[in-house]
Amino acid sequence: MSLDGVSLIFGGKDTEPVLAVDSINIEIPQGQFVAIVGPSGCGKTTILNMLSGLIPPTVGSVKRHGEEVTEPSRDIGYMLARSALSPWRTARKNVELGLQFHGVGRNERRNRAEELLELLHLEGFANAFPSQLSQGMRQRVAIARTLAIDPDLWLMDEPFGALDAQTRLVVQAEFISLWEKSKESTVLFVTHDLEEAVLLADRVLVMTARPGRIKSDNVIDLPRPRVIDELRFDEQFKAAEHKIWKELRSEII
Amino acid sequence: MKSSDGEESIGNPPMSDEQKSHETSKRFDMASLPQETRGERLIRRIDIPVQLTRVAILVFIIWIWESRIIFKGLNVLGFDVLPEIIPLFQGVPTEAWDYITDVWNEKLFWQDFWVTLQEALLGFLYGSLSGFLVGMILGRFKRARKVFSPFLIFTNAVPKIALAPILILWYGVDIGSKVALATIIVFFIVQIPVMAAVSGVDPDLDTVASSMGATQLQKFRLVVLPSILGPLFGALRLASIYAILSVVFGEFLASKRGLGQRLLYQVNNFGMGAAIALMSILAILALFFNAGIGFLERKFLRWQDDTTRGNVVSL
Repeated sequence: MSLDGVSLIFGGKDTEPVLAVDSINIEIPQGQFVAIVGPSGCGKTTILNMLSGLIPPTVGSVKRHGEEVTEPSRDIGYMLARSALSPWRTARKNVELGLQFHGVGRNERRNRAEELLELLHLEGFANAFPSQLSQGMRQRVAIARTLAIDPDLWLMDEPFGALDAQTRLVVQAEFISLWEKSKESTVLFVTHDLEEAVLLADRVLVMTARPGRIKSDNVIDLPRPRVIDELRFDEQFKAAEHKIWKELRSEII
Repeated sequence: MKSSDGEESIGNPPMSDEQKSHETSKRFDMASLPQETRGERLIRRIDIPVQLTRVAILVFIIWIWESRIIFKGLNVLGFDVLPEIIPLFQGVPTEAWDYITDVWNEKLFWQDFWVTLQEALLGFLYGSLSGFLVGMILGRFKRARKVFSPFLIFTNAVPKIALAPILILWYGVDIGSKVALATIIVFFIVQIPVMAAVSGVDPDLDTVASSMGATQLQKFRLVVLPSILGPLFGALRLASIYAILSVVFGEFLASKRGLGQRLLYQVNNFGMGAAIALMSILAILALFFNAGIGFLERKFLRWQDDTTRGNVVSL
């Protein structure tokens, strides 16, 4: 997957055109977990939107498996900061949504959804509506919905940003173990939380303030599988986080 | 971690003896909660004090009415809040009841009933269908909304009741003119909230659906339509009441048949008891309309809490 000299300009019709991202070059091999950190409004989400085919770049090219991305693809899972569950669907039906779009039969949808809910420790809540679930549970349903369509590219837009610190740890741990088991899936994970980026990713890209450019590209060489609640206190982890923080700091402060 | 929420702790860190003893100390025994029997639950749901108060209020209203106390007039600080009513203009519940038992076996009465019901149903159907369609299209397409909104705003600003005489000239004194008036009034009651609801569908839901490659039709069926059901049913409830109101007004103005026509005739001939009976019948008709929509609403909006459902005040 690659972005090659990609820039994107927003607006222009009734508002001043804004250069959102500027000459981005990223090359991501299949199966890598890449986190993008940067100050808010730097165009992190824009990169995800271009990769998902929701918006085209103004210049440059976005490619997956060597082919230009022009429209949403069925093997991409996109997850937002807000769980964006349909309030009128039960947890299970929410997980089934993507499969329903793809025309998967009723029984198969149901089995797949139940399997995922079990993996995320929600088997007792399959028939609960989102309003009856806690924040953390809703976000886990959203993870299940994203993974139900078996994507080989996971685009995550601050997926745990709305969770409280403890719930976040739990959900992060579940998420990372799902990914570690999935092997070949590529993840692009946008976050403003540097600790989260370093805990989860193989590689952390730091972006500049708007217009967003890639400032640095850091490999996180921590062993897998990671036990993230313990890894937080690891010296090697702290050193890696500190190194990247110095890069990020000048963009924020 | 909050085990009550179903959250699982990560792994099982070793516990010290002190923690363990705390863990195994007294726990709340769920079985100690008193169990409610089926009969007790029924009684709690019926809520006898509420029911008794309701009955008492109803009896009180019928009593002051039947005994003609309310017709004696009420003067508060020099204002005639309730004017004194001359006997000719008085009507009481028993007279209304006599009228109903009289007409119950009368073929002509049921023909009138059917005329009014038909006008209201057709007006409601045409108005809400067209309002729904136009609201959907304008909510979805911003440019279409830009083009048409000044026309719609102006048309809506016209006091639509004032169209009634013209509609009678155009569509005749039979049911056509009443259906047309109800259609126009219902159209705006449905179109405006549907348009607002469609343009206000959660953009995150749209993004999620688009990113999963949903087609336009799938988005309409699985995202937009369920999103707007709440406002749609609210509008339909209001529309059902207004459909009856419009046809009754149309019949007042010019008509050969219908309950509204019958009502006007009775008032003109000082048949006050009959007028009260006819108004009650019209109200009951509106309640049936409302109940039908409420039934559909409960079916489709099962996911919504009782407290948020159907609290649109019907006028």
